[in-house]
This record gives sequence, C-alpha cells and structure tokens, in this order.
Amino acid sequence: MTILVRSLVFAFAASLAATAQDLSIRAWQMESKGDASGAREFLERSTQGGGLDALVAYAQFLDRHHDPGARPAYERVLRTAQGAQRMQPARRLVELDLLAGDRDAAQRHLEQYTSAGGRDFSLPPLLPASAEKKTTISIPGPLHSFARMAALAPDLAAEDLLPALARNVVTNGYQAASGNEALEQTEYLKLVVRYLSQARELEKLAGADQVLKIESCDSAQTGELLRVLGYRMRGGCGSEVVLETVNGTRAFLTIDSGFPLAELEQSLRTNRPFNYDFKPTQVPVLYTADYWLSAKERQGGEFIDTFLGDPSLCRLYLAMAKLDPAAADELRKNTTLQRIRAYAHVLDFYGGMFQIRNGKAVVPGGARSEKAWSDLVGVAPDKPAAFFERLVAKDDGWMASYFDALSRISFNPANGPVQNYLTEPERMKRFYAAIRGKVTSPGPARPVFRSNTDMLLLTTRLRLDPDGRPHIPGNLEVWRTLFIEHPPGAGKYDAKLSKAAPAWKDPDDVLEALFGLCRKSVENEPLKIFMALSDMDRRRRTPLEAKTVDRLSRHFRAFGAQYPILAEAPELSDATVIQFLDVAEAINQIRDIGVRADAAGSMQALVGLWQIFYRQGSIAPADADHTLSTLLSPFAKLKNERDIFESGREGVKTLLAATKSPAGASPQDRMIDLLAGTSESDNSDAHTQLVEDMIRIFESQRLISLATIFELVDHLESIAKGEKANMALVNRMASRISEIQLPRTALSTVERNTLSFGYWSEKHIEAQRKLNLRALIDRAATDPKKLDDVRALMGPFLRDTLVGLNYVHYAPPGAQVLYTNPLFVRSHDFIGLQGSLQTWRPTEVLGTGWPTSAGGKLVGSLASLPYALAEAEQNFLIPSREQALIWGDLVPQLILSATVPRWWDVTPGQLHWVGLHMIYGEALLAESALNADRRQAALEVLSRYAMPARVEKIRELLEQGRVQGALENVMPSELFAIARDLLSDRNSADTPVAAEIHREAAEAPQHLNYQTISHFFGTPKPTLANSYSPELLNLRTFPTLMGYSSRILAESWESNLLYYGALADQLYLSPAQLNVLVPEWTRSTVERIFATHLEDWPALLRSLRLVGDDAREKAHRQATAAGAGL
Amino acid sequence: MTLLKNTIFGGIGLLGSGGLLWLYAQDRPTFRIKVDMVVLSFTVTDSKGKYINGLKPADFRVTEDGIVQKVNTFGEGSKPPIQVMEDGTTRPFLNAAAPGGTEGGVKSEVRSDSFVGTNVFVLFDTSNYMYRGFVYASDAIADFVRGLDRNDSVAVYTFSRNLSRAAPLTHERGEAIFGLRKAVAGDDAALYNGLLLTLRDAAKVPGRKVIIVFSNGPDNASMVAPDDVRAVAEDEGIPIYVISTNEVNKDPMSSAVFKRISTRTGGKSYFAKTWQKQVEAFESIREDLGNSYTITYYPQPNPNEGFRKINVEIVTDVGKKYRVRARPGYRPRGGF
Repeated sequence: MTILVRSLVFAFAASLAATAQDLSIRAWQMESKGDASGAREFLERSTQGGGLDALVAYAQFLDRHHDPGARPAYERVLRTAQGAQRMQPARRLVELDLLAGDRDAAQRHLEQYTSAGGRDFSLPPLLPASAEKKTTISIPGPLHSFARMAALAPDLAAEDLLPALARNVVTNGYQAASGNEALEQTEYLKLVVRYLSQARELEKLAGADQVLKIESCDSAQTGELLRVLGYRMRGGCGSEVVLETVNGTRAFLTIDSGFPLAELEQSLRTNRPFNYDFKPTQVPVLYTADYWLSAKERQGGEFIDTFLGDPSLCRLYLAMAKLDPAAADELRKNTTLQRIRAYAHVLDFYGGMFQIRNGKAVVPGGARSEKAWSDLVGVAPDKPAAFFERLVAKDDGWMASYFDALSRISFNPANGPVQNYLTEPERMKRFYAAIRGKVTSPGPARPVFRSNTDMLLLTTRLRLDPDGRPHIPGNLEVWRTLFIEHPPGAGKYDAKLSKAAPAWKDPDDVLEALFGLCRKSVENEPLKIFMALSDMDRRRRTPLEAKTVDRLSRHFRAFGAQYPILAEAPELSDATVIQFLDVAEAINQIRDIGVRADAAGSMQALVGLWQIFYRQGSIAPADADHTLSTLLSPFAKLKNERDIFESGREGVKTLLAATKSPAGASPQDRMIDLLAGTSESDNSDAHTQLVEDMIRIFESQRLISLATIFELVDHLESIAKGEKANMALVNRMASRISEIQLPRTALSTVERNTLSFGYWSEKHIEAQRKLNLRALIDRAATDPKKLDDVRALMGPFLRDTLVGLNYVHYAPPGAQVLYTNPLFVRSHDFIGLQGSLQTWRPTEVLGTGWPTSAGGKLVGSLASLPYALAEAEQNFLIPSREQALIWGDLVPQLILSATVPRWWDVTPGQLHWVGLHMIYGEALLAESALNADRRQAALEVLSRYAMPARVEKIRELLEQGRVQGALENVMPSELFAIARDLLSDRNSADTPVAAEIHREAAEAPQHLNYQTISHFFGTPKPTLANSYSPELLNLRTFPTLMGYSSRILAESWESNLLYYGALADQLYLSPAQLNVLVPEWTRSTVERIFATHLEDWPALLRSLRLVGDDAREKAHRQATAAGAGL
Repeated sequence: MTLLKNTIFGGIGLLGSGGLLWLYAQDRPTFRIKVDMVVLSFTVTDSKGKYINGLKPADFRVTEDGIVQKVNTFGEGSKPPIQVMEDGTTRPFLNAAAPGGTEGGVKSEVRSDSFVGTNVFVLFDTSNYMYRGFVYASDAIADFVRGLDRNDSVAVYTFSRNLSRAAPLTHERGEAIFGLRKAVAGDDAALYNGLLLTLRDAAKVPGRKVIIVFSNGPDNASMVAPDDVRAVAEDEGIPIYVISTNEVNKDPMSSAVFKRISTRTGGKSYFAKTWQKQVEAFESIREDLGNSYTITYYPQPNPNEGFRKINVEIVTDVGKKYRVRARPGYRPRGGF
C-alpha cells in the first residue's frame, strides 16, 4: 500500500513537473553556470502569472536551496492545485513543518494530504520528552552557576548533565594522594564542593520564595548576603558604595560561579531592590536516584554530594548513560549495582556497542560467530545480561576491547568485508589469544584514555584484497624478515614473534603478530609500518614492489613521517619512492650541519610545493612521478651551498614547467598564483583575496622573492663576464637583508644556552644578517671564483623563500604568529635538539611559553606543516564565551581541514548536489516520523555510522514526531550518508529531490559521483589514512585514544565541509567563495565551541549550526538591504 | 596577473606599509606615499618626578631620525585637543576630518573627539598563576575603572590560554565592571599572545590608547616572544603599563621584560604584591594618563623604512631641566 501511494504521489508530482519541466530546466541551466540567484529571480518572475507549473517549479527550487520561502511557496501551490495535484505539495509541507518544529501546521497539512488521497503518513501522538519522564535530583542554586564551577557547557541537554559531570569527576576530580594509594580531591572538585556549600547558605537566605532579595542598601539582609558572598561594603550606602573582598575563598566562589555581583553593587549604589532567583536546579537522573545509592547513603546527604564523593559511582553512571538503553536495562535488571561497579571502567570504554535484539546480545559476526563468542565469554549471547556482564569482567577488559573493536567495523566497499573476515570463528579465537597473552593486567581500560588504540586502528583500516585475503604490503617475506631482523636500532619487537616468524606462511600469521603487539604499552612500530604501507598501496593501481616495501619498512623510523607525502600520489613509481629515500639518506650524510639543514630544508620545501600542486591539480597525475624524480635528482649529490642553490633553482624551474607556466612568467608571481590554488588565470574576488593574504604573510616574514634572488644571481654571472654591477639591484637585496634581525630574545647567552634550543636556526639567521652583499661584490670585482662564492651564499636565502612559500600556503586563519614574528620561517629548525635527529620527523611546535625561548618555532621536517601551523595558531582564537575550552588536538585538525583543501575546481552543480543530499536526508528523517517502514530503513542506515545509544535516542524522538530534536542529534556527515546510502540501496527516485539528484548525476556523471564529492568535501586524515589528501571515510566518530588524545576523533569528524558546502548552496554562493569563507567559518565555529570534555562533539555540532544560522541571517540582511529576497 | 597584482598592491598601498611597498618595488617600481598619522603620548616631569603641566605646542620640538616634524594636533590630559596651524598658532580641533588609519582598505576619518580622553584596555591575567590573588586583583581593577576620567573609555579583557573580551571598549563604567566580574579563573597563561591580540584590537581604535596589563608574570603557553609583541606596541604607538603582582626579585626575567616593554612603549611597570600597592600602582597610572601630552603628526618624508627614532625636546630654557618620557621610536605600520 505504502509503495502504491508513494508511486501515486510521485506520478502526480511528475505530471506537474512535466509541464513545469521547461522552467526547471532553464533555471537549472542558469544554476549550473553559477547563476543561482538569477535562476531564482527567473522562477519568481514566472510565478507572477499564477500558473501552477511556475508555482511548482519555484517552490521546488526554493526547497532545493533550503530557502525559508519554500513553505509559503508550497502553500501557494496547495491553494492553486486541485484534487490529487494537492498531494505532493501537502506531503512536502508536512515534512517541512516537522523540520521547522511546527506541529500544528504539520497536522493541518497532513489532513489536507490525506484528503487528497495520501495514505502513507500518520503523525504519532506527542509524548512527554524522555527527560520529563525521568526522576530528577536537586542541585542547589541556578544551573549556570553550577555549570561554571563544574566546567559543564551550559547548553547541555538536561539528560546529559549528570553524565558530563560524572566524566569530569572521573577524569579531573581525583588524584593519587601523596604517600598512600588513596585518592584525594583535586582543586577542581574541592571548588565544586565548596560552591555547593555556599549555594546552600544562599538557598537558606533565599527562603521559601527561593529568591535572594535585598530591599535596600541598609536593610538587614544586606550584611548577611555579603558575608556569605565574602564581600563587604566600603563607603556608606549611596553612590559611593563599593564592594570589596573580605573573605578571599568565598569571594572567589562568588565570582567564579558567576554570581551577579556587579548588579548587586549597582543596586546598593542606587538604593534599588535586588532580586535574584535562586531556585535549585532539577537535573534528570538515570532510572531513579535510589538506584545509585546504598541504603545508608539514601539516609545520608543529598544525591549530588554522594555522587561527587564517589568516582567509581560516577564511572558507572557514565558507562550506563552511554549504553544502548535496552542493554542497560537488561544489565540493571539482572545484576546488582555492586557487581557491575567493579567493572565500570571497562563498561565505560567498551560498552558503547552493546546491543540486544530479539532477546539476544548482538555480537560481531552475527549468527555465524555466536558460538565462538559463547566459547570465548563463557556465556551464550542468548542470555544477554549475563553475556555482557561476563564480557566486561573477563581479562581486565581485553576481551571487551576486542568485542568493541570488531563491532565498530563499518562496511566500506574500499576495504572489503573486513568484519566478516575477522569474525570467522577460528580466526577470531586465534587473534583473541594473541591479544590476551598470558598476563592480562593492566587491562586497556585502566589508563585515562583507552589503550587499545592500535587494535582499533588495525580493525578499522585493514583492507582485503580482491581474493578476500588481507592486504599485506610487499609480501609475506618482507614481514618475516622485518620481525626476524628488525630495523637497525629498533631492538626486538617481541622475542617470541621473532622466533615464530620464520614459520609464517599465511597473511593471518602477520595479522596475528600485529594483534599480539596491540597490547604492548610501548610504541607499536610494526603496526605503524603496516598501516603506513597499506595506505601507500591503497590508491595505487599496482601495489608497491616487495623490495620497495622492504626498504620502506626498514627505514620507517627515520623517514616514516615522509611516507604520507609519497602516499598522496599513487602514480609514483617504485623507483621514485626509492630515489626519495636515497636522497634523504644522502642529505643525512652531509657532515656540515648548516649545509645539511639548508639541503634538507630546500629539498623538503620543493617536495612540499610539488605535493600542493599535485593535490590541487596544477601538476597532472601523469606528470607527478617524472616531476618529483627530476626535482630530487640534484639533491642526491650535494656538497656545498652552491649545489644547494643550484638544486633549489632547478627545482623551481621543474615545478614551473610541470605546472605549464607561461614562458617568461615571474617565478614569484606564478608560485603565489599556484599556491592560491589555480593554475589558470583567475580574477575573482576570492582569488584576489587569497593572493593578497599570501603576499602579506610573505612580506611579514621579510622573505626575498624568487625573482629577486634569481635576478641577482644572473647578474653575478654578467659581472663575471665584465658587465658593470647593477648597484640598484644589489642595494635592493642588501636592504632586505638588513631587515633581518636576530631573534628578539631577552636572554643572555648563558641563559639562552641553558633554556633555549635552536642553535642551528639562530646560526642560520645570524649568517644571513651578517652578509654584506655590497662589500662582497665590490671585493669580488670580476673574479668568477669569488662571484661564484657570492652565488653560493644565496642558498640559505632561497631555502627560506621556498620554505616560506609552504608556510604561506598553509597559513591558518588569523596567522598571528606569521604576522608578528618576522623570523618564524627563518627559524624553522631542521636539525632540532642535539642528538634527536629531527630532520625527517613530523613538524613539531616547540618553545611555547616564556622565558624558555624567544617565541615558539617549528622543528623537524615540513611533512606535517599544516597541522603544526594550525597548532601554533589555535590559542590565538578568541572564544565567544567563557574561557576554559577544549582545544587540544581537535582544533588543529579542524583548522587544517580548512587550509589544505581548495575549492576552485568544484562546480556549482557539485555544490548543489551536496545541498540536495542534505535536503533529502532531512526529508527522510521527517518521513521517518510519519511512516514506520521509512523509519526502520533510515535508522538501519544510521546505525552504520552512529553509536547504538544515539540511534535509539533518535528513534525515540522520531516515534514522537520530534523531527527537529532528532535532526539535532544527527551529524551532517551522517545525514549525507543516509541520503547517499538510501539512494544507492533503492536506486530510487521516490521524491522530487531524489529524482533531481539522480537526474543531475546522470547528466554529469564525471562530476557528480561520490568519489569526487569525497575528494572535494572530505577532510585530510594524516593519522587515520596517512595522507593529507582530503577524503570521506564515513567512520563512526572515534573516542579519545591513548597516544592520540582527541586527534583521531577530530579526523573522524567529517561534518564541517559538507555542512559548509550545503550552506553555500543555500546562500547561492559560488564554489570559489568557499576558498575564503571556509577558513572564516571554521574560525568562527572553533570560537563558539563550548565543550565539556574531549569527546563532546555535540558541542562542535551546536557551534557549527550557530555559524550556519549567522551566515544565513547575514545573507538575509544583505539581500533585504539590496531589495532582494533570500 | 599584472592587472590583478596592481589591484592588490593598490589596496595594500593604502595601508601605508613600508615593508609592503618594498615588495612591490622588488618586481616593479611602484612608489606610494604613506598617510599614517603618528600619535605620540608623553609625560614631562621635573627632577623630582613631579608632572609638569601647562606646556604649549611651541615648547616642544619633535624629530624623527633628526627630521623635524610638523605637529598637527596637541592635547594635554583629557582636555580637548587643539589644532596646530602652519604658522604655529592654534585653534580648537573641531569637526576637522583628517586622514587617519585604514581598516580593511577603507580610509577612516579621525573625529575631533577621538583624542579627548584615553582608550584604556585592561588586560587581566586570570590564569592558574593568579588563582590566589584573583578576587583582590578584580577589586583593584574595579576601583581603577571607577576612578577613570569621564572622558576615558575602558575595555576589560582577560586571558589565560586564550583571550576573552570580557567588556568591549565603553564609556560606561558599569558595563566594564559587569564584564570584569564575569571573568572565569583558571588554565594556562599565554600573556604575550593575549597582549598581542589586545594590541591588535587597540590599534583599530582611533585616538590615544594605553594597555594596562595586570599579571604576576609567568607565561607557559605563548607562541610569540615578548619583544615581538613590544615591537608591535612601539609601531602602533600604544604605551603598555604593567602591574605585576610578583616581587621584582622573585622572577627576574619576567621583571626585566616587563620593565623593557613598558619603557620602550612609553609606559611604566609596577611591582605590587600587596593589594595596597596595586591600588597605588593604578593611582599612578591614572595620574600618568591625566598628566600626559598627546601630539599627532604626519611624518615628513623619510627614506628609513626600518626603525625611526623619535625625540621630543623641550625648546624653552626652563624646560631643559625637565625629563620627557616617550616611546623611543617605531617602524612604519605593516598594515595587518
């Protein structure tokens, strides 16, 4: 029946559209050329005649752009249409009403839909929100004060408050007491407890009305209130009265909790009444308060006091709140609080994927693996509570962590059926035995972060070859050799594995070894090698040869940080990969450290530019290998600065040729153009702005343009041939050199030697500063040898310019460091601390905080420059609300997602296609509230990407018709994925939007496909995918992990660019504008994040939506001011 | 590209950056005239440190690298400024639009009331280092804000790891104190990052401005070095006053930096561990603001695009005994 009605509806819609088609096609033609606002105007004009076709075309156009005018436009269609023609607009109105939270309108339009013949929708009755059903506990004082003191985001949903508090108590509330094993409260928790005490005193003063009232300055209550607050009046009542601290401890709580002290003072000064609502806060508690307390505790103090005083209770509360509600209920009913409390840490980290369906625990591998799980756990999955209880109790968490890692594997066509492979019963048992080992303690849930990071990375990123076997880079022999011989200096990975390796015959032998090493607390180098090399092979047409893999694996420790560069271009030949390693080794052999730093810097900078140009399409894939090889060649045999200069110059020529640069173009101008992101001429405002910003940064760093350096060097050759020195040119260069200053350190030499680092970078700068070019040229006269020496001195300058061009490209929004520290580029330290061999290591930020250095600087190679620059900039962002934000590793990843990709090659059609998917995803959610079949289908897809507890929450909201609430819990990346998967699963065109998506894709299949969208709207994932090449991986959002904090979580967050893309489409912006707007929007998004903890991605989602609302409002204001509508 | 680059350079040229102009000159000879106005505040004291008031424009001679400058306006304390004419006569500075700084490439006008009073930016350290003295410092700052001249504007910023604009620039004392009292304590200290961002904000405001840093010194999170920040303050002509809640000898490195930053920008540093000393320090700053002179001028042609040394002399005989405290110089603005 449902299918029939849907077909009918769409047939009507199609009949309408058939006559409206001409209008729509004409509008689409304008739109696909980037004139969306023109298309809108055209359609709006067409409606003036009042014809139904035009009204439909206009309404659908507005709808596709998420325009707020869509609902009124559909209303107009509904008023004009007759009979069954009314079905489609009425149906769409019901959906839009629910998305807007307008239930009354939805009910009205549903009736119209039904009366027009629609039968597949019914609006479920509105039940009280789940939070309202729950029992509550009381916290003294207003929520905002408690939230400030407990470091909770004030806009947390009510039901999320206690879990967030529990997490803060677990992670920040206690520390080991000195001298014994007991825990003592941290300063954070002491302040929360003190605050509660003060709040209770204030509650008493507030009395039965629960309002703090001061009638006048000299009233009796004033003194008592001030005493509790820790203040007193200075000066008599009247305009001179000032509040000053009398009790520092109390006053601190007053200020820190945000008590309106200034308002109180103002009331006293003006002798006006002061009223402050001091009602206690009611916070929903999971199950009932009594469930969590012992009989003794129930009679003692209040719930909140017991809660704060018991970290293990908090851990259990947190764990249960994260569980799928059905699984949590089952556990609660079948086991005691005390029993499960002992394993709260395991449940907290690894319980998130527990689910019960049809009375059985859902296990990875499904029915085929149930018996194996039953054997491993000791309880069958058909006794779910006992199964889960035993699972968390087993092996101090190792089995639960294995269960979790296997459960999280999502099907990814690129990886193959990995979960199916790993859960083959015998294989699963075998790998588990490897993980477990003999000594199980300490388990992976003991530290603050989950320590099974490697296992999670392995199961997530493992790939099966077309023959269904795991992809092993190189061949088995390479891995046997690696484990037997080990790279020089690595020591044995594992004595037993080294002993077993000669007998390895199967890829599973390698996997077993890798699983076994996952439990080691020390760095798991073999796994890192495996992942890096797998990722290098991932996009290659032909995998790397065994001998290449062997070489790469042996040199991973020295050069592993460089592999993502090589992974980014799958066209690279094995020979070029080997050549890269040869060159890096050759540079390491240079004995003069200054020359070595210049050689490494120049080579890395050129490779960095090659990487950027390749990524942006300025170097064609077919030319990538040859270009890199040509670039590298001269660096293999460097001896001195002269060679470095020549190699650098040749490298620039190679890059300019590979990017098809016009003959005679200024190398500097051309480089900046290319870095801005286009190889073709582009005079758009966006391009101009990007170029302008790059030039400013380049100038702030007092770098010398490529054109000037090359001109001078050419001129030196002319002088050698007897030409007169061009002193104007020499002076220009000399003048620039004179602007180079020594680092502005305030320390004496002794202090500097003691505290700071960067000897070689300072020496590099000092040598440049002391260069007296005029005198050298004067002295050289026409002596070719001496002039040649002068030419060699240009090597370090060229290095800085090339390095600077990399910095300029990746400059984060704001770029305060680059604008303020004129030596930031020059002080890049390619050598690092003595003995640390950082030349090829990842880029690191060192020296923050004074007086340890004269400002922070970057150390190491340029391989992870985008991340390091973003990290250096993050603390310059200015939060829009209170301080104490969660930055850490999350923000640099968000920033680099805005600085690495460019959108010059995105077509308006692609932008629109992303927008359509978002609209279709929203429509699917709305339909899910109105149709049970639809809901089941949508939630099944969602469960591939979201954790079970969240899927259940969304289900509950949809079952109540709360579409807006459900949408708030779905990430934009999930919305996109739901639309994509349902469109692909059904290959259907069941609504006008779906039909439009299919139509557009069929019209331009090369542009409108998911691979292209993944490239343009995906994010770089240097840790997860070993590449800066943007892509969508569609993984479940990761938790924080040992060794990575929230960095992998941040890399698994793929919503920003999809959201911004859809936003740009809604606002009729051109794709080119994204190049300017995405960094701005990202900055604004970060400045509005107000998170409670490291995994608080909902705070990020809230912030993202605020930025979208602002952009829409701003566009609306501008359009209104310009006399147009939006 | 040529057309594009000319457009860009034209836009940047308005910002009057010497450094930027040099870039353009690297590849093509383009010359532009800078229109940046220099705002110079200074105090005059006698041998006992007592402020000298009532001096006139004709009593001063201002030079940049030895080149005598033509003073455009002259002001004392919070009195309205006067315009200094070509012949040395003066007249009230009313509704005179003068070319001023630029914001986003758009030339802004300097209003006559821009130089009445001072724009005071208070930068309050709320990091973990200030935990113990947080509330007392808050009281002292509140007192200072209340006591500012009615013509002054005040902004209250706080910093720990990040900057927070607790109260944007306002004439309303109440608003500033509301913002101050909402500050949250805790986290790492990035003093010089915070100071840099405050300078960037202050630089956008026309007229006379000062920054008062209230901190106990340690910094464990800044990316920028103190002297890079000091250079920005020098170039923007913004005096920095520092009130350290540490003893001078307790952290000699921070103390030395505080002294250098304040001296080089025309401000002062105070080491005030006790609440009473902090109040005195604020009182001293207030006096400084009330007793300072402010002149503006458009720099005479000067080939030096690097650091330009400023010298303020008192030309009358009686004034030779007096001491002038001003920033030692600046670099032409970079336009960022």
